[in-house]
Amino acid sequence: MAHVVLKDLVKTYGTFKAVNDVSLTVNDGEFVALVGPSGCGKTTTLNLVAGLTPITSGDIVIGDRVVNDLDPKDRDIAMVFQNYALYPQKSVYKNLAFPLQMRKLPKDEIDKKVKEAARVLDMTELLERKPRELSGGQQQRVALGRALVRDPAVFLMDEPLSNLDAKLRVQMRSEIKRFHQDLKATIIYVTHDQLEAVTMADRMAVMNGGYLQQYDSPSQVFAHPVNMFVASFIGSPAMSLIPLEASTANGNTVLTSAEGWSLQLSPRNVQKVARATTKKVVLGARHSTIKLHKSAIPGAIPAKAYTVEPTGDVTFVQAFLSGAIVNISVPPNIAVAPDEQIWLEFDQERIHLFDGETEMALKAN
Amino acid sequence: MSTIAETASRDRTRRRMRVDGWRWAGRIFLAFMLLYTAVPMIWMLITSIKSGFAATQFPPQWWPDEPTLASYQKLLDPQNSVGQDFLRFFWNSLFVSTVTTILSVIVAVPAAYAFSRFSFPGRNFLFFAVLLRNMFPAVIFLVPLFILMRVLGLMNTHGSLILTYLTFGLPLAIWLLKGFYDNIPVQLEQAARIDGATRFQAFILIVMPLSTPGIIATAIYSFIGAWNEYIYAYTFLSKNEQLTLPVGIQRFFSENTTDFPGLMAASFMMSVPVVVLFLVLQRYFVRALTEGAVKH
Repeated sequence: MAHVVLKDLVKTYGTFKAVNDVSLTVNDGEFVALVGPSGCGKTTTLNLVAGLTPITSGDIVIGDRVVNDLDPKDRDIAMVFQNYALYPQKSVYKNLAFPLQMRKLPKDEIDKKVKEAARVLDMTELLERKPRELSGGQQQRVALGRALVRDPAVFLMDEPLSNLDAKLRVQMRSEIKRFHQDLKATIIYVTHDQLEAVTMADRMAVMNGGYLQQYDSPSQVFAHPVNMFVASFIGSPAMSLIPLEASTANGNTVLTSAEGWSLQLSPRNVQKVARATTKKVVLGARHSTIKLHKSAIPGAIPAKAYTVEPTGDVTFVQAFLSGAIVNISVPPNIAVAPDEQIWLEFDQERIHLFDGETEMALKAN
Repeated sequence: MSTIAETASRDRTRRRMRVDGWRWAGRIFLAFMLLYTAVPMIWMLITSIKSGFAATQFPPQWWPDEPTLASYQKLLDPQNSVGQDFLRFFWNSLFVSTVTTILSVIVAVPAAYAFSRFSFPGRNFLFFAVLLRNMFPAVIFLVPLFILMRVLGLMNTHGSLILTYLTFGLPLAIWLLKGFYDNIPVQLEQAARIDGATRFQAFILIVMPLSTPGIIATAIYSFIGAWNEYIYAYTFLSKNEQLTLPVGIQRFFSENTTDFPGLMAASFMMSVPVVVLFLVLQRYFVRALTEGAVKH
């Protein structure tokens, strides 16, 4: 196993910048998820690390070697693809043996390693089958086996679960996590599904528009998103982002809405608002931090329920505030009807404030 | 109330009848096509086992009174001058077609792969240029190519024919194969390259075996095209010992008599390689032609 360092990585296609100055370090044995919407450059970044796409500028270090100009085969990596990329004409055994044959290992050693990998992944009885005779989950497992049979320095995984059905996906998710814990493998995992990233990764790199937005542990990213993009991308349902305006009267700073209501701020939040470049401030709140009241209480904002979605153990209510959708979760025993008048109370300790102009999170000193 | 049900059921019957009508029309059409293609072949076979006299009798003998393989024996007998000619033409055709096929596969495979996988300056223009040739009938190029071959000093050589057949065969071969490579996920090669293969090894070990049907289809296409070609062979070659079969078979027409059984026997033997090739490899051919059309 080895660590991976990306330094000022850039990839351009003509005038289009697919990857912009991405720098990050993946520690030895760490599970890092590259996450972002489609087209954010996460797969391109992975392909750059794999050597499948030549880099425009920057450095890639795997272990202690700079691998910028090395062929994929010389980078000591293994990759699991979204469509598995199993060789259709080869049996499972031969699929697993291929990377070893390419490295010219003796036959008996290949046999030993293939059988060991098959045992670990519990697919000994599948060895003679062709990929098309396997279910999606089994194909996925063979793809994983082909990656681990060679004991590479780094595992690269490109959306390995997105072709599976929902139930299997959850199951394979824990299998891959288990696989990482057992092998202490260095894994770079690309996904567009923030839930996969949050549940599996030690650290996650959130990307958008070719830029690395934030690189931190899932809990840190969740609790302290650096900007509005990360805030809205991580967490489900998405964080509500309400555009407001800061105004100060008699030395008292409040956030006012175009709808007429205003929100009092705690001293700490006043500090944050003071750092905004303009008067425009965006209030961010996760569904679980907003309290829903069915009668007016001081400090709560009046709103109308728009949709109500019971999921069993929690009910999601959507409402509009200042033209933005607000998600609120309430216990299932609280009945809310669409169009019912409700009051929303924000938790001053847990709201997020963003600069309306730069979209960056506002920080207190 | 019952009228509604009645109308509905009548509608159903009518609809079914209309569908059946189309199906029957289709069957009749296919039967007609079968007759259209099979009857001349059968008549050719029957005539080839007749004697020279029986072949020209009227009303015709549907089945010869005395079937004979004399025509075949004569054609395949190296001692006989007719046999010598026929075998030489056959060999010439086989040589020209085989070399054309091999060269066409050797050129079309990497060309198609490049068109499918790489982006390079002028890629679209080149691909369009490749297809452009197919917009014109082959005859248009007869005179220009004749002049070109004379300048190149290739007149009266098999090389002139091979070059010409490649000119006409390659565009479609490349186009056919490109469709094939387009359908092979690029991730397979990427996986192979990560697994330790060079780009070339990935192509040889992973892509080539998967594109076998396409390569076979391309080969059949080139072979048949070269095997059947007449007008260029007739124009470019004038020496007797160089002629290919389609031109050589004309020898059976002479001023006073035409050896119809001999002509038919020669024609039959000429069609054998094509038919055999097609029968053996037809499932690949069909797969190749449909594979490119369907997106997986």
